[in-house]
Amino acid sequence: MKHRAKIAFLAGLLTALGAGWAGFPLAIYRSRPQPVDFSHKIHADKAGSKCDDCHAFRADGSFAGIPTLDKCAGCHAAAMGTTVAEKTFIDNYVTPQREPQWAVYARQPENVSFLHSTHVTRGKLKCEACHAAQGSADMPRVYQEDRISGYSRDIWRGKRMTDCVDCHQRQGLEHSCLDCHK
Amino acid sequence: MKSTRRDLFLFAGGSAAGALLTPAPWRLITDTALWSENWPGVPAPPRGEIRTRFTNCSLCRAGCGVRARCVGDQPVQLTGVASHPLSRGVLCPFGLTAHHLPYHPARLKQGPHERALAAVSAAIGSGDRVAVLDLQPGRTASWTYRRAMAALKNGVYLTNGPSVAYDLHQAKTVLSFGVPVLDGWGTPGNVIAARENFRLIQAEPVESRTATLADVWLPVQPGDEDATALAMAGELGADGSALVLDHRGPAAAMALNQRLGALGRTVVARPEAPVPVEWRSAAPATALAQVEDRSIRVLLIDESAVDGYVPWYQIERKLVLDNPVVVTFTASHGGYARHAQYALPTAVYPEISEDIPTAIDSVAATFRLSTALIAPPAGIVNPAEWIATLAGLAEGDTIRERADGIHDSGRGAIYTPADGKTVAVKDLTAEAFWKSLGEAGCWIDEPRHARAPETTTAVSEPHAHDSDVDLPLVAWLAGPSSPPLLSPLMTKLYQESNLRLAPNRVALHPSDARAARLADGVHAFFQTRLGRCGVDVTIDPGLPAGVVQLGTAPGILDVYRPGIRAKVVPA
Repeated sequence: MKHRAKIAFLAGLLTALGAGWAGFPLAIYRSRPQPVDFSHKIHADKAGSKCDDCHAFRADGSFAGIPTLDKCAGCHAAAMGTTVAEKTFIDNYVTPQREPQWAVYARQPENVSFLHSTHVTRGKLKCEACHAAQGSADMPRVYQEDRISGYSRDIWRGKRMTDCVDCHQRQGLEHSCLDCHK
Repeated sequence: MKSTRRDLFLFAGGSAAGALLTPAPWRLITDTALWSENWPGVPAPPRGEIRTRFTNCSLCRAGCGVRARCVGDQPVQLTGVASHPLSRGVLCPFGLTAHHLPYHPARLKQGPHERALAAVSAAIGSGDRVAVLDLQPGRTASWTYRRAMAALKNGVYLTNGPSVAYDLHQAKTVLSFGVPVLDGWGTPGNVIAARENFRLIQAEPVESRTATLADVWLPVQPGDEDATALAMAGELGADGSALVLDHRGPAAAMALNQRLGALGRTVVARPEAPVPVEWRSAAPATALAQVEDRSIRVLLIDESAVDGYVPWYQIERKLVLDNPVVVTFTASHGGYARHAQYALPTAVYPEISEDIPTAIDSVAATFRLSTALIAPPAGIVNPAEWIATLAGLAEGDTIRERADGIHDSGRGAIYTPADGKTVAVKDLTAEAFWKSLGEAGCWIDEPRHARAPETTTAVSEPHAHDSDVDLPLVAWLAGPSSPPLLSPLMTKLYQESNLRLAPNRVALHPSDARAARLADGVHAFFQTRLGRCGVDVTIDPGLPAGVVQLGTAPGILDVYRPGIRAKVVPA
């Protein structure tokens, strides 16, 4: 009788652990692929592109973010290689002049204002400091969106408020609420 | 083996314990909190191109230059413009969060347009006196009111704005009687720039933020200002390098400023940008106090731009007793809408498109536009257009007409924030000048056009009164006054934390609170011989005993005047 109670309790415990660690992440995130199989690696290796060739700062210092179709079409008005990904991109987006709806891994909540210009130009921060190896990836990762909050799973990987605060503290920089929450 | 209810409970207990060891419950709590940020009704800017636009803040007449970071057409961040010649990159906390105001839950969005128009038209038709009360004179809208009142039989244009301007850069000593010089008075960036050149003596009973930053704090009791001023006059010198500011208004310090040689030097008549010649036949500005009591049948109040609050008792005694018609143009329910028969909704900054009058700390006339960053909702009234239509004035772009008038004068220069350049007006075509104004340009006149103000004397009322014997406290405004609508972020930072006295609060010394049997945070009544209003109580040991410090809610201002005696009683 005593063992039977332990077994029932452990069965519940193990079921919850399995569901919480293995099942919950599958259930909470909705996955969707990026519109184009874009390879940062090919652009960096073969075309010799640097990050700010496409992710540029405007003349007024603001960050342009993901380049628009015009920028891509500057090189890919016609196919430059033989990959299926490039052909699909040209057929589906360049030719019909349709902007790809990229899912942004690092998109922050609406109440956060993050200035790339301050961190890159003044703080001399490398892109990899926040975006890890995304700039050398051969394929875009599958975008995972939280079903409840609607935010990307990636913002929990080094892009939380505590990560910002930790970095500022390590660098001995001042920070206050209104720096980001304006 | 048959499962029992006990097994089921043990399984559930194990599941609950196991769940706590997984990320699931903690993640659900976090996600739910994040989800609540995006509830329906919470404005979320649409995805779009991030770009910079410029405007000028119209929350007060400081009119600071604003750089707006926009996603698509939606402003998401407001900051100052570092190269701006007046505001010098500074924005006050109200200005930093002003892009939240259009979404304020207490905002007035609907009003009885037709009924108000019918009531006003009927009253005007009977030939009775009609008046416009302009709470921020000097705007192009103000001139429309003046022209409208000139076109109407028995029309009167009333103001309550400052009649003078001050030059802090020329002052070596500033003696301030309760004016929050370093806490929202004037143009913050300009005050900060001038601060290192003058000695500030702050005379007030409460050690305010300005008092803590002043060179000298004189703890003066309310009512002792004039005696203190006389005692200090000899020490300040009469070479025009000293300047006196008084919370009771410019007239209260006029005699002393005259004696100190400040008039025409650091105290000048309020400068105003030129207007077209044909406007100069408009009705003159009349101070509300100069109008005889019980003479106004129709009163139109422009609350869309405010520069101080006129207590209702001062307005009410000017109205006829028999069925007066009061219409207020406002964005909130909190001001004169409590007393008016008709409250018509207006646009709020940054929806508003209008010019901003010269700031109180600028001795050179200025002209700048607050260009709308977002469109106002449907059903909004433009007070100037409404009153112009009422008076039958010809339709036209009055702001453009005034801009052309400034250009025709050939005076001054215009600064444009996008390129940070300043160009003399005489080097620009009228079209280029108008274009620069539309890009948040700031026209500044030559200071040589400044002139000395007319000398006036304050009408003082006795502080003591027979009925004051049971009023043990002296009332003191916490200042500066806040805009009618506050961003929710401001509410968090300044009101819930009590860093700034909330508009509907009063603060008392602990001994006064004990005597009145009041605890911290309770609801109470603030009472003077002008009336009483409901307030919340803060107990502050930093206050001197015998003083009640007041928030600046209209309800409190309606029963307040400088130096008045008061009491706070439990509700």
